[in-house]
Amino acid sequence: MTAHTPRILTEAETALIAAFETAGFADAVEARAAAIESLKESGLPTRRVEAFHYTDLRALMAAGYTLAKRPTDEIAQSSGDAFPRLVSDAAVLHFRDGHYFDRGEELPDGVSVVAELPEAPAVTNGAADAVAAINTAFSIGGTTVTVAPNADVARTVGLAHAQTGAADTLGAIRNAIHVGKGAKCSFVDRGVGPNGVRYLFSSHTDLVLEEGADVSFVMSIEEGDAAQRLSRLNVTLHKDAKLNLFLLNAGGKLVRQEIEFDFMGEGADLNIAGINLIGGEAHIDVTSRITHHVPNTTATETFRNVATGRGRGVFQGQINVRQAAQLTDARMACNTLLLSDDCDFSAKPELEIFADDVQCAHGATVADLEKSYLFYLRARGISEVTARRMLVKAFVAEVLENVGDEALAERLEGIIDVWMGQHV
Amino acid sequence: MLEIKNLHVRIEEDGTEILRGLNLSVKAGEVAAIMGPNGSGKSTLSYVLSGKEDYEVTEGSITYNGEDLLEMDVEERAAAGVFLAFQYPVEIPGVPTMTFLKEAMNAQRKQRGEDELTTPEFIKRVRAAAGDLKIDFNMLKRPVNVGFSGGEKKRAEILQMSLLEPKLCILDETDSGLDIDALKIVSDGVNHLRDPNRAVIVITHYQRLLDHIVPDSVHVLSKGQIVKTGDKSLALELEAKGYADIIDTAA
Repeated sequence: MTAHTPRILTEAETALIAAFETAGFADAVEARAAAIESLKESGLPTRRVEAFHYTDLRALMAAGYTLAKRPTDEIAQSSGDAFPRLVSDAAVLHFRDGHYFDRGEELPDGVSVVAELPEAPAVTNGAADAVAAINTAFSIGGTTVTVAPNADVARTVGLAHAQTGAADTLGAIRNAIHVGKGAKCSFVDRGVGPNGVRYLFSSHTDLVLEEGADVSFVMSIEEGDAAQRLSRLNVTLHKDAKLNLFLLNAGGKLVRQEIEFDFMGEGADLNIAGINLIGGEAHIDVTSRITHHVPNTTATETFRNVATGRGRGVFQGQINVRQAAQLTDARMACNTLLLSDDCDFSAKPELEIFADDVQCAHGATVADLEKSYLFYLRARGISEVTARRMLVKAFVAEVLENVGDEALAERLEGIIDVWMGQHV
Repeated sequence: MLEIKNLHVRIEEDGTEILRGLNLSVKAGEVAAIMGPNGSGKSTLSYVLSGKEDYEVTEGSITYNGEDLLEMDVEERAAAGVFLAFQYPVEIPGVPTMTFLKEAMNAQRKQRGEDELTTPEFIKRVRAAAGDLKIDFNMLKRPVNVGFSGGEKKRAEILQMSLLEPKLCILDETDSGLDIDALKIVSDGVNHLRDPNRAVIVITHYQRLLDHIVPDSVHVLSKGQIVKTGDKSLALELEAKGYADIIDTAA
């Protein structure tokens, strides 16, 4: 017989449960209720939950959120003004404080959008699934984007989430993207918000690439400096599908970005590249899990991180190679610059390999800026701060080359420059 | 232009004293050669002049154009016209050479209160200077010194020197690693910069470089001190007799 002591809820847990109870959702009632039940049961994860070992959500999450109301059209319009588009001719789906706004943007040929909340993610692992549970419980806005088979989509599709500036609100969105057989397309998924405003944003995206689909997906996380963001991207790759994913973290106080990939068809190829900029008081966690279920698939994962101030960065990279997945080729690299005494970065590679004929490699480095480089630049008259920025830029620039669209890469470079101007 | 008096310098990390009371005076328009055996302190002198942090000056002074050079930051010295052509120029991955050159030229202009160069004007200057030094312009699209041969690195140093137009040039063993043709090109580049308002300090082991860059004065450095000073004939004497002889006589 086991005695069951009721756990004392933290302020954040209490606030989430209260926000749910006052929200009165009328849709997806069962899934939402089950998710909140899981949260009540297991609570937010602590360090004792392996997947959250470096990101103790129970300690880090702030309290006092209420579900965001739908902003007016005027506010929805103006809140995006400070953030010019990353791709000038993109067709953008707009989300504000978690609510979807159809602004009548013309979609490119081959792309259709249904403005309904897609199916909720599975919440089966208790506290380890906290990010999915919060999204399931609270999602308001959502779309299903379908790319027709063999479509060669001319314009980028944008998913733009902006926080309007309403303090202490909770907004959550969920999108499903289905890319048909042989289709080729590109997406930009962006989250922005004002500095100095505390808010919680949850995002969940399911991305499915059918046979031979070729997708470029760029995520740019530019949340405000008091923001908390919990998000997950789930990707399924079928036969010969090809995904080029780029992730930029350049904002937020607490960010947990989970990225999960399942190789379900032979010949599929995945390239993940990312830059994590961690300054001020930020805590930024990228947790990745790649599972090779079938033979003959390739994955490359490259992250460059820059930590400074009192920033704390986390990268967890899990690679699972199932017994059937012979001839898997998986490579992972995580290189970090630590620019201050009070910042830190935790890198944890995890390889679980059950097949015998595979190639898996992982490597992590941590360093400060090379002194001899700094001296050389300064000896030519370049100020110390400019020299430091040049070297940080050089460190991350290599990874930026993974963004095929040059104009987009330049815009992302601009975001990096702004961050460096504040933190380096 | 440059007045070094009783300079004592030690390595910060382990306290090893390298320069032990060095005196040297270089006038505007002068080309001064500093020669000496390995470990005599030649490179340390060049680093202390340019402001590298790993050294500690325990005694003495360096006056440059009437100012206390030791009080100036590395980048201030550069803007004031001090240029070190490195013995081993570092390779800096990810920083394109052109970006670096433009930043350097404009940073110095800015510190001197001059307008920044426009991009066409900048490119024009680089093309001209690269042409003189027989540097392929495409090489400058690569990151700073990355994949350059030894000779290319030295030529790139002289390219920077001619673009930045310094007042005090310090060439730290610029001849090492150069073949005869490259030595000629580099020397021509330096000679081209000889000017009544500019001083050049040539640090070298060998007399060979001084056949091409003919010095006004030659100083022999040994155990952290200048032990003998003469004209260009001193270099020939060193070449004929070796350091040991001269140093023993001087000591």
